[in-house]
Amino acid sequence: MRFSVLDWFKDEKGKLTSKKINDVVIPCDTVILAIGQENSFPWVERDIGLEFDQWEVPVVDSVTYESTIQGVFFGGDAAFGPQNIIEAVEHGHQAAISIHKYCEKESLTDRLEYGMNLITAKMGIHEWSYSNDYGYENRFEVPTVPMNERFKDINIEVELGFEPGQFQEEVERCLNCDIQTDFAANLCIECDACIDICPVNCLMITDNDDEDNLRKKIKTPADNLEQDLFVSEDLPQTGRVMLKDEDVCIHCGLCAERCPTAAWDMKKFTLKVPYALDEANAIDVNATKKAV
Amino acid sequence: MSYIKKPKIIRDNESRNKLGMTVTDYEGVMSTLCAGCGHDSITGAIIQTVFDLNIEPHRLIKLSGIGCSSKTPAYFASQSHGFNSVHGRMPSVATGAHSANSELFCIGVSGDGDTLSIGMGQFTHAIRRNLNMLYVIENNGVYGLTKGQFSASADVGSTAKKGAANLQIPIDPCQVAISIGATFVARSFSGDKEQLVPLLKAGMMHRGFAMLDVISPCVTFNDHEGSTKSYLSTRETKREALYTDYVEPFTVIEVDYDQGSSIEVDLHEGGKVILRKAEKEFSPLNKSDSIRMIRESADAGEMLTGLLYIDENQPDFTEVENTVRKPLNEVPFDDLCPGSKSLAALQKNYK
Amino acid sequence: MSKPGHNNFTVKFANVNGTGSSSANGMFMRSIFRMGIPVVGKNYFPSNIQGLPTWYEIRVSDKGYLAPSGTVHIMIAMNAQTYAEDLASVEPGGYLVYDSSWPRKELMTRDDVTVLGVPLAKMCNEKFDTARSRTLMKNTAYVGVLAALLDMDVSVIEQLLLDTFGAKKHLIEANKTALDMGYDYALENFKCPLSFRAKSSNKTDGHIIIDGNATAALGCIFAGATVGSWYPITPSTSLMDAFSGYCQSLRKDKETGKNNYSIIQAEDELAAIGMALGAGWNGARSFTPTSGPGISLMGEFLGFGYYSEIPTVVFDVQRTGPSTGMPTRTQQCDIMACAYASHGDTKHVCLYPANPEEAFYLSTEAFNLAEQLQTPVFVLSDLDIGMNDWMIKDLEWEDGYVPNRGKVLGKEELDNMENFYRYLDVDGDGIPYRTIPGRHPKGAYFTRGSGHNKLGGYTEDAAEYQDVVDRLLIKWETAKSLVPQPEVSYSKKNKMGIISIGSCNDAIREARDVMKKNGQSLNYLRVKAFPFSDKIEKFISQHEKVFVIEQNRDGQLHNMLITETDADSRKLESLRFYNGIPIFSKDIVKQIEDSINSGKAA
Repeated sequence: MRFSVLDWFKDEKGKLTSKKINDVVIPCDTVILAIGQENSFPWVERDIGLEFDQWEVPVVDSVTYESTIQGVFFGGDAAFGPQNIIEAVEHGHQAAISIHKYCEKESLTDRLEYGMNLITAKMGIHEWSYSNDYGYENRFEVPTVPMNERFKDINIEVELGFEPGQFQEEVERCLNCDIQTDFAANLCIECDACIDICPVNCLMITDNDDEDNLRKKIKTPADNLEQDLFVSEDLPQTGRVMLKDEDVCIHCGLCAERCPTAAWDMKKFTLKVPYALDEANAIDVNATKKAV
Repeated sequence: MSYIKKPKIIRDNESRNKLGMTVTDYEGVMSTLCAGCGHDSITGAIIQTVFDLNIEPHRLIKLSGIGCSSKTPAYFASQSHGFNSVHGRMPSVATGAHSANSELFCIGVSGDGDTLSIGMGQFTHAIRRNLNMLYVIENNGVYGLTKGQFSASADVGSTAKKGAANLQIPIDPCQVAISIGATFVARSFSGDKEQLVPLLKAGMMHRGFAMLDVISPCVTFNDHEGSTKSYLSTRETKREALYTDYVEPFTVIEVDYDQGSSIEVDLHEGGKVILRKAEKEFSPLNKSDSIRMIRESADAGEMLTGLLYIDENQPDFTEVENTVRKPLNEVPFDDLCPGSKSLAALQKNYK
Repeated sequence: MSKPGHNNFTVKFANVNGTGSSSANGMFMRSIFRMGIPVVGKNYFPSNIQGLPTWYEIRVSDKGYLAPSGTVHIMIAMNAQTYAEDLASVEPGGYLVYDSSWPRKELMTRDDVTVLGVPLAKMCNEKFDTARSRTLMKNTAYVGVLAALLDMDVSVIEQLLLDTFGAKKHLIEANKTALDMGYDYALENFKCPLSFRAKSSNKTDGHIIIDGNATAALGCIFAGATVGSWYPITPSTSLMDAFSGYCQSLRKDKETGKNNYSIIQAEDELAAIGMALGAGWNGARSFTPTSGPGISLMGEFLGFGYYSEIPTVVFDVQRTGPSTGMPTRTQQCDIMACAYASHGDTKHVCLYPANPEEAFYLSTEAFNLAEQLQTPVFVLSDLDIGMNDWMIKDLEWEDGYVPNRGKVLGKEELDNMENFYRYLDVDGDGIPYRTIPGRHPKGAYFTRGSGHNKLGGYTEDAAEYQDVVDRLLIKWETAKSLVPQPEVSYSKKNKMGIISIGSCNDAIREARDVMKKNGQSLNYLRVKAFPFSDKIEKFISQHEKVFVIEQNRDGQLHNMLITETDADSRKLESLRFYNGIPIFSKDIVKQIEDSINSGKAA
């Protein structure tokens, strides 16, 4: 298999361009192409009004997935070049919405927005509707069939999966990204309970200041500058602010457990993606959010 | 579930003290107090204090009486010996323990009921002996564990949760302590660690009885409107008499202190306190000044906080008693038992 | 023993409190002792510093009986207020000496008592300058009178003066003058000596005269106790005074001259026991002396010490109750209060010395037991033992003695230990291991009086709680094998026995001798410790009748024998003496003989 090693750079127009440096040949028995490489359209006439870009793929609107011919939609690799299947599915959904709207003679750009929903995960004083235990284990390697066994039969599944115990521990390692710490500044009485209990020292109440200074005021400084620092509105009793370094939060929920006024809460985040059927039923996904 | 224990997570950039220990190493078991209890904040401040002072946990003993406050020694320094004694009697246990080994750091945690009612006698006598210990009163004005009766520190007019007002005059531990000869008296607030932690440090390093009255709101029974010991009310009435900085031994002081408005006091057990004066002229080295200031503030509806009185020149209990400095519990038996010859000799007096 | 004889008589001094009589009375007693004659002194003093009547009774006993005789052969009646009462208490044929400086009414005489008037005040007023010395020397002068009447060896008294006053020459002189004054007056005016005298002997060799509070304090010194906390209360105060005194000479650090001990005068008994527990917890041998009211106050902490398993030693020098009672009178009325001190299921190891000699040995033993068993241990003395001067054998000490500190984990053991659990019964004897604060990072544990499990953690779990309180019962069984065994005097021939406790011992010894002479021998068991030894149950089973003799109204020992042993309670007859005065042997004899004669006894 011959690979070309490329150097990528931006040209004068700021466009990302590549220049070949050399070729590398890697000897292989079999080569399997797992991406939609075969997306050239020599069979589409160039005079029917469909515009093609420099890569010889159709020009497609990134919102409506409509080509330059009204009523013709593209998605997946055919639309924007090689991408992964998850995005291709999304393209399909969006194209379906456009097709529906096209058929109904509605504006293709007047679409329902993405929505989200936050619902408290609190069940009781100490109980949450998610597993808030912290898993100390390192990541487990998924057990696999030994190399020499794999080739005996084409139908052999290589990954064996976890044993039940390993599976549980592996799941416990999940940092519950879908569980958000949600802070209502107006409820806070500044008792410090959350700060004292936080196992990763990621909270602090302090006078508002420049971001650089604020980052230092957290017990263990918030030194990952790529992660935004959470700064609350002014707190009612002293006018100070609550800081949170999301970078290290493990979503254990102890801040919310120890909060006497429920200023801190652990909330489950749900992304609401509108589908063609929603458009058809004219459901506003944000309506649910507002109701919360 | 996390309510059984707190996850122990040590981050790479976690700060470590001179013993290589992290703050987490000085924690205890999970608190079973109500969420938002001021006592838990004081626990947090004590943890910070012993961490910052680089105290070997096994060289610290922590004692208490009975009540919400007295549960807290279990919540910090789990590698230290703890003693949860009987109601109002912690000072006597501390006195005995101190006599057996005066080299250990000693923290006593008490409450307003445990100190000012059932324990008033032992509290005052521990002061009288100038016992070398840090005595923290977690003062919330109510009996929490028995569900909200007024304590002896409740202010006149402060209301209970159901509305009844307290009519009896409060006992102010600071005024009591200063008047009977305490050598270190301070007041602070659980919700103000910037003030509390340096005071705790200074109290630990003071040789003699260091009393720290910490207003510590009871979120369940005394944090309502009408209470004078709620978070809000304490913040509204609290006034800092002096800003206290604790400076570790052998530290170069980088901040410029104005000589005229700051006072430096060297502490016997190490380090020093630097007291920066607030708006009014006030010296915490003068008993009469201190008591007058406290009273004037109280009359003005304010609560004076900070290091209110300090005297580093008084001998502590061990010095007054002329006891050997090395721990009595380590004196070899041969030095304690006079032996048969002495016994025979002294019996001549009984012939 | 109503008839006096040579070296067998009782002299009683009736004085006014605060007149300094005790030193003169002591001088008389010690002189008799130095003449080689066994002697004992009993002080019946008021709860008062000055002005109220006080008596001192000195029994001279050739056989060395140390209980009061209950009879008076010579009364030194120096208190006009009690003169009539004092005169009435003299045995027929006895003598009364009084201060005749001012004549007493004729009414106050008895035909069967020889009344000897000595103008003590008059002589002293003429001889001495100050009011204080006149008062004091009157006392010395009546010792002179006694010396003549009893034909005492005056050189012994003179030597005693030298030993007592040492360099204070003027005191030696004054006392000598007063002594001679009384002596000469008696020789000139009375028929001396009397029919009974003090004749030099050698029966006090190897003995000392001392009170039990002093010996208990010595026990603390020799056991290596370093922390003593207390609140002054009669009759235990002199225990700490004695300890403090011994410490001055025996407990100074050689290099620094500082104290190798800490004596803390507490604000009350609640604090005193708290301090003792705090020190015991922190690895010092600690103790607190008190009396009944103090035990009541200490109740809460004593239960704490039992449940959280902290060693310390409590001396209860018992006095009469209930309530304040008579603070200067003796009783054995705290037997149950100490055994079961505090609320909840508590019981305590108690030791019962019989006299000052045993107070010393049981005192040292108490410290060992407290640390072996990790619990407060009581030494129940009483006012009679603690504050009266007893003649006892010289105290002895073995220099190889090593204190038993019990199961305390050292550095190496903790180093090699994965985890230390304070209340785990590793050895099956109910005694867990403990650590001393400040010594090892692995040794930390939490001490609490609230529910805890065997690992030392807080608990409200039914099974975990019960596990620990049940284990304390295993420890109680272990205690049974460690505490001192009862003292038994047994002969197969005797069908009846006596069980008693503490300071009843000497009256019982004398009573048994008397009854034996009368043809009625009884066996004897003296309880020395609680928990009770199995020997007690065995002793009861060996007899048809057992008299339980003790000094309280309610028969506390008797009750405990019934509840704490499986012995047949119908065999036990309770004999109780509780008027505040130490038991007289004659009263014991009378009660036992009455019981036998009335057919109550088998």
